[in-house]
Amino acid sequence: MKRRQFLKTTSLAASVPVFINGMAVSAMANSNIFSAINGDSDRVLVLIQLNGGNDGLNMVVPLDQYDNLANLRSNLIIPESNLLEVEDTMSFHPNMTGLKSVYDNGQLTVVQSVGYPSQNRSHFRSTDIWTNGVASDDFTTTGWLGRNFDVDTPSFPVGFPNEDCPDPFAIAVGSQISQTCQGLNGNYSMAINDPTDLNPLASGNGDTVPSTPYGDELAFLRLAIEQANAYGDVITAAAAVGTNMVDYPEDNALAQKLKNVALMISGGLQTKVYVVSLGGFDTHADQVVDGETTTGEHAVLMATLSSAIQAFQADLDAQELDKRVVGMTFSEFGRRIRSNGSLGTDHGDAAPLLLFGSCVNAGVIGDNPVIGTEDEVDVSQGVDMQFNFRNIYGSILMDWFEVEESTVQNVLFPEFEYLPVLNPCLPDNTSEAIRKETITVVAAPNPFSNETTLSFTCQHEHIQLRILNSLGQEVEVLIDKTLSAGSHSITFDGKKLAAGSYYYQLKLENGQQKSGLLTRLR
Amino acid sequence: MNRRATLATLFGKKSTEKSTESTVATTTASPPLVLSGLDPYTDTWEYEQAAHLLRRAMFGPTHNQIKSSIQDGMEATVATLLNDLPMPSPPLNYSNEDDLFVPIGETWIEAPYSAGVNLRGARNASLKSWTMGHLLNEGVSLREKMVLFWHNHFATASTIVNDPKLVYRLHTLFRANAWGNFRELTKQVTIDPMMLRYLNGNQNRVQAPNENYARELLELFTIGKGPQVDDGDYTNYTEDDVIQMARVLTGWRDRGFVTTNPDVEVGSFFVSNRHDTGEKQLSHRFDEVVISNMGDGEYAHLIDIIFEKEEVAKFICRKIYRWFIYYKITDQAETDVIQPLAQILIDNDYEIKSVLEVFFKSQHFYDMLNIGPMIKNPVDFTVSLIKQLEMPLPPGDNLNQQYRVWFIINRVNAAMLMEIFNPPSVAGWPAYYQEPGYSRLWINSTTLPLRNEMTNRLTNQGLTANGFTVRINPLELIAQFDDPFDPNILIQELVVLLFPQPITQNQIAFLKEILIPGLPDFEWTVEYGDYVNDPTNEDLAMGVENKLRNLLTAMLTMPEYYLS
Repeated sequence: MKRRQFLKTTSLAASVPVFINGMAVSAMANSNIFSAINGDSDRVLVLIQLNGGNDGLNMVVPLDQYDNLANLRSNLIIPESNLLEVEDTMSFHPNMTGLKSVYDNGQLTVVQSVGYPSQNRSHFRSTDIWTNGVASDDFTTTGWLGRNFDVDTPSFPVGFPNEDCPDPFAIAVGSQISQTCQGLNGNYSMAINDPTDLNPLASGNGDTVPSTPYGDELAFLRLAIEQANAYGDVITAAAAVGTNMVDYPEDNALAQKLKNVALMISGGLQTKVYVVSLGGFDTHADQVVDGETTTGEHAVLMATLSSAIQAFQADLDAQELDKRVVGMTFSEFGRRIRSNGSLGTDHGDAAPLLLFGSCVNAGVIGDNPVIGTEDEVDVSQGVDMQFNFRNIYGSILMDWFEVEESTVQNVLFPEFEYLPVLNPCLPDNTSEAIRKETITVVAAPNPFSNETTLSFTCQHEHIQLRILNSLGQEVEVLIDKTLSAGSHSITFDGKKLAAGSYYYQLKLENGQQKSGLLTRLR
Repeated sequence: MNRRATLATLFGKKSTEKSTESTVATTTASPPLVLSGLDPYTDTWEYEQAAHLLRRAMFGPTHNQIKSSIQDGMEATVATLLNDLPMPSPPLNYSNEDDLFVPIGETWIEAPYSAGVNLRGARNASLKSWTMGHLLNEGVSLREKMVLFWHNHFATASTIVNDPKLVYRLHTLFRANAWGNFRELTKQVTIDPMMLRYLNGNQNRVQAPNENYARELLELFTIGKGPQVDDGDYTNYTEDDVIQMARVLTGWRDRGFVTTNPDVEVGSFFVSNRHDTGEKQLSHRFDEVVISNMGDGEYAHLIDIIFEKEEVAKFICRKIYRWFIYYKITDQAETDVIQPLAQILIDNDYEIKSVLEVFFKSQHFYDMLNIGPMIKNPVDFTVSLIKQLEMPLPPGDNLNQQYRVWFIINRVNAAMLMEIFNPPSVAGWPAYYQEPGYSRLWINSTTLPLRNEMTNRLTNQGLTANGFTVRINPLELIAQFDDPFDPNILIQELVVLLFPQPITQNQIAFLKEILIPGLPDFEWTVEYGDYVNDPTNEDLAMGVENKLRNLLTAMLTMPEYYLS
């Protein structure tokens, strides 16, 4: 069984709450174990904002609901034979070949039906809800990442940058700072369109100025603004030493933005968050071409998104930066189940969210949305929410940025429930890179009821295999001796354990570790 | 009003067969006029011209003030700007309970000080706040911009002469003579107690002459220093003239500085036995005039003599030009604008109004080349930001709150290098005299982030003092626009309100991407329309309001916004 399948199995066996059943939510927090394994690292979160409301049902197609879906959106539905099957009951849009290969590499997570209670179908309001990380009736004006940054640096922007913190906290690629990074006293993101030319687009840089006194003064001001940019030198320096090791599609605006992100990460910028965006998802009309449903506006968007992420991930892999970077897509809402008469779809509710990178818990989280019959689905019905987006945000903060759960509750909401969307992950080094394919650990079954068997292949070397609880405390040592080269299996008896999350940790002689989540069912 | 007609009004274009998009696009192509002189401007009177006049002659004209000016025409607008206004009621004690002589809510301008109690700090704060209040509350009038002009011209500093009663008195003189007679104003300033102390005129006596004021009177206040053509000869005056004029000015003293005596009024007086009664021989630069003793009338006679020189008129007209047009005065402008303006001033006995009336109606003033190149000084930047975006200000019934809000706005200006009542020297702010940078001197790596911070704050969380938050209300702002439902027109209306010249298509596209990121135009129309139909629905209101805040945040940090 492939590791990426276990979460899917879990979610099919029981829906969301299985992850928290039987354990206090706080005990689910695994930031301790993550920090024990990885120590302090230079982790980066890349957000890809899909503006306009992405039609999730046309991106991730539930095959077990296909017939009903085909009835409800007969003018849009993509023939089943054209879809890219990624799991038995789930396919991607035909243009997502790039993301399928990322998925097949175990570097993509599909979280099904992400949204929030009392969905607001206004673009503007719902975008605020997502970027601010708030409930639909909460008018807080700070962003979720901004609030998180404020916890450690409440005086920002006063005194920044400084010696300890010379780099921007966050970079929004484009000309607009990101609302996600709005703190109480300032926005943590810096808008950069091109790291080699720091003037924001709004300054009109690149446009010529008239040869008049007005033009003279405007040119003076543009230069002054560029020179006054407090972060200018570090970004320019990072862009100068950074590199890209793959070709990004030229006519793909998102890919070009991600290329700059990879360049800045590669150049050593210690920026924690990058935000990029792709617009055009508001597909009320001409989402597909009449009679050729594999083409049209949404098809172009899917190809753009897919090939951009594929190139970005390949670049990170090639530069061995993949274990430092996790990406996430989000959109203000999904679209309705029924299509409209204009070959499009109107504003809906929940939609799938993608996470990518070498440290995601790859596979599918959650169930396929249930699509009713012709009689059951009313004209304005959207996809019901399975996962509150704030639980995903909070889990990322905990696992990726090692934020305490109590802080996550303050930053997001007291009812926060942890979701294992990420996977413990070691930063690469050269020897690991050589060996990383050879040290996969398979746990089956997982989730398990009483017993699970852990299998791995090693060289002739000393091996330590331990089971840890979610606080990083040792539960049992399964192996602590020198093994012969080849395949080994050992069964772990978990009958005495409470239901919940545990981790295996395999330590090789060279110190390299491999860890993974084990879930004991009730 | 249909969309095309709306745009035609906005951009001074005749309604044509072109589509909306192409109408927008052609606005960048207004043909520059040839450099022009003082002949009356008779061309189109549209948004661009009306906004230009009001931006330069006042602080931050609002959408409606500009619209009214378009309706009224240039003549009427200039007349309104130059309407005489009643003098404002004086500054009040807004919070100092330790002021033994002045209850809260009363003015301190004639109250004495009290030994051992520091009353100056609170009164200074009151005066600064009160002045900011005038800047913020002035309607379509030139007066406050001229008060600031005279403060920059006849510069004094309250840190050096620390008595707010004296500062108030001098600035009241400026306000009363905002576009009055330059020669008479100069006479009054010469014996004003603030100036007497600031430039040591009060110490200038026959026994020990002090040349400080006499030198600045010539160099900075009236005739200006020309090229040095000989030893001690600066073309317009000589070193010996400074010495002789200092003798003329002996004998004047001030009264009432920080006095604790309730019977002593602030003022100045002439002391005969400190006055030099001898004959004063001026140089050939002043036609070798001899001034005989005239006692307390001698200073006024001296100023009449100085003002006989045409150069005085040219000197002040150049300063007016730099204040209202641009710091670079080309040879053509010197010939076709400065010199004829100076002649008008002389012909009208140095009545400043006569010059301004012609200037604000001249072809030169509305020349394309003069629209937009002025980098706003910090006071203009901040006050205009609050006024043109029509931010609510604290109500008059809460004195303490009102004064404190005004106070923090002053503090921001001070950080950006322009503290009212404290120019860096007697020459005023360097932006108006320091070659070659002039107004570019306002901009550096410290002041730029402050400007950004100010605009960000006023656009987003607001500037708060004493429970009142100054913050833009973008929904109210755009409600008065011609077509806030169309994102293209909405952005254009903001562009013409905020920027002196059209911006590029790239920039417009960028701004639209902020207003409706990744969305088609109609989504703005739909969401704004939903809000208008149900304005009490907070969900709908917040959605569009936040988008507008994003848009304004971006626009106000664009370099175009620093220009007027």
